[in-house]
Amino acid sequence: MDQLQKLLMEIRPDIDLDSNRLVDDGYLDSFDIVTLVSEIIQEFGVDINVEDIVPENFNSVEAIYDLIERLK
Amino acid sequence: MSFVSLRFFAFLGIGLGLYYTILKRFQWIWLLFLSYVFYSFGGITAMGYLLLTTLTTYISGMYLQKANDKIQSQKKDVNKVKKWKQQKKQFVFLTLLCNFGILFFLKYWQTVVNVLHYRTGILLPSLELVLPLGLSFYMFQSIGYVIDVYRGKYPAEKNILKYALFVSFFPQMVQGPISRFGDLKKELYQKHAFDFTSIEAGLRLMLWGYFKKLLIADRASVVVNTIFDGYTGYAGSVILFGVILYYIQLYCDFSGGIDITRGVARLFGVHLIENFKRPIFSTSLQDYWRRWHMSLGAWMKDYVFYPLSLSKPFLKLGSFVRKHIKGKAGQVLPVSMATFVVYFLIGIWHGANFKYIVFGLWNGILITLSILLTPFFIKIKKKLNIEDKNPIYHGFMVLRTFLIVLIGRYMTRAKNVTAMWQMLKLTVTSFSLKALTSKTLMTLGIEKKDYLVILCGTLLLLLVEFLEEKEIDVSAKSKKLPVIVQVVGMFLFIGAIVVLGVYKDDYIASEFIYKQF
Repeated sequence: MDQLQKLLMEIRPDIDLDSNRLVDDGYLDSFDIVTLVSEIIQEFGVDINVEDIVPENFNSVEAIYDLIERLK
Repeated sequence: MSFVSLRFFAFLGIGLGLYYTILKRFQWIWLLFLSYVFYSFGGITAMGYLLLTTLTTYISGMYLQKANDKIQSQKKDVNKVKKWKQQKKQFVFLTLLCNFGILFFLKYWQTVVNVLHYRTGILLPSLELVLPLGLSFYMFQSIGYVIDVYRGKYPAEKNILKYALFVSFFPQMVQGPISRFGDLKKELYQKHAFDFTSIEAGLRLMLWGYFKKLLIADRASVVVNTIFDGYTGYAGSVILFGVILYYIQLYCDFSGGIDITRGVARLFGVHLIENFKRPIFSTSLQDYWRRWHMSLGAWMKDYVFYPLSLSKPFLKLGSFVRKHIKGKAGQVLPVSMATFVVYFLIGIWHGANFKYIVFGLWNGILITLSILLTPFFIKIKKKLNIEDKNPIYHGFMVLRTFLIVLIGRYMTRAKNVTAMWQMLKLTVTSFSLKALTSKTLMTLGIEKKDYLVILCGTLLLLLVEFLEEKEIDVSAKSKKLPVIVQVVGMFLFIGAIVVLGVYKDDYIASEFIYKQF
């Protein structure tokens, strides 16, 4: 989780890590999501597909973490 | 059939009358019939293309569904799963090839003929192809459906007539919005009881659309055409005035058309997605593209940007770049390239003209630069103690975005790249504010009262959008007014559209700018 938070802060230093509407409130746009996904694939060694790119999977740090765990 | 014709209103009246009475048990079938009647006014050939796309994407959807079911039922057999997955890919590829092939052929054949003739002297037949009404829009919508079924987002529609309605629903055949099957299927196929609120909301939307289109856009178009057609005879200030008017015209024309579309759909109880979210208040170019032609932007994001930037070659490129370029640049460079491709595609989608490629590059370069420079801007803002919510800074960002978009508008409206460049040059090198006199304005094709209508109309539009931006529901507020005020206001508004709308014998008001795309 700490590693993921660090990644997020690198991509968007102004992000609110407690938010559960990261995509809905515009903290993460499509550009950030793709940058984040590329980093996650590299750092965590998981395979994230286009089908997984839905707001529900990226709206909170927990949701992103759950996605990674699911795909491990 | 024009949205601004007695024939259309008669068509709508009969359509609605039967929809809520005798045919209320067969509403979606009636909608399909109405859609095909509406589309038949575009000619037999156009109908042929519509049927071809409907059939190919329907068959593709059914096949992909079968493959998805097989993968599910045979998931333990790795080889069979692999075979089905491979076949799915091939089938989607063929469907895309067939449909985008038609789109490419109809949109760019003449350009291919011209370029080939110019470069090699070979003369291919010109064919005099006419772009069928709404081709890009219904094609993007159907391709989106095929890809969604491929991804297993929802099951394929088995009923070909229901699917045909999704492709051809008549209000959105003129210029979109590009809807998704998942959103639209319930709206189209469920029963809709007569509901006065829906009718009222639909009529309000339509009136607002006609107001933007007939009062503002069609008036501004006269001045815009005069200035852009004869730009060499004008000072920079007049050219800039023309470009600002074009900005207003384009927004009122496109968003007005979408309001009419959404209003008509709402009369039938169908909610269509929004296509604009007050782009004038955008704070960055990215923000602008999130608010302008939203359904195309979302389509590009889901079906081009994500698959491309998450494809194996792009991911490999990403890790290679990150190894060699440290920091933010290494992180965002591969994604920037995918962004570039998207804006390039949006550019050439507008037409086979080099100016649209320049337009795509202009947007792609600026957005990539802004992303690369984000950490630098954040540092500067911290140093200067500026917050995004600061009203002066916010105003600065809105103005800056407006100017960037305005430069892009030189590109989309000028006849070609040379004209665009000369117009930009004239704006800067021979601005001469003195040239923008009332005398000059009177030579641009419209009269003083027309300017007044454009000015008052634009100010009203800005006021309403400003209030909506502040999350004030103008429509709900107006409903709280005394009934007599609402009725009188409505009649005055309709009267203004009827009296002040631009109607000419040789002018077809339904010719929306985006209809040509």
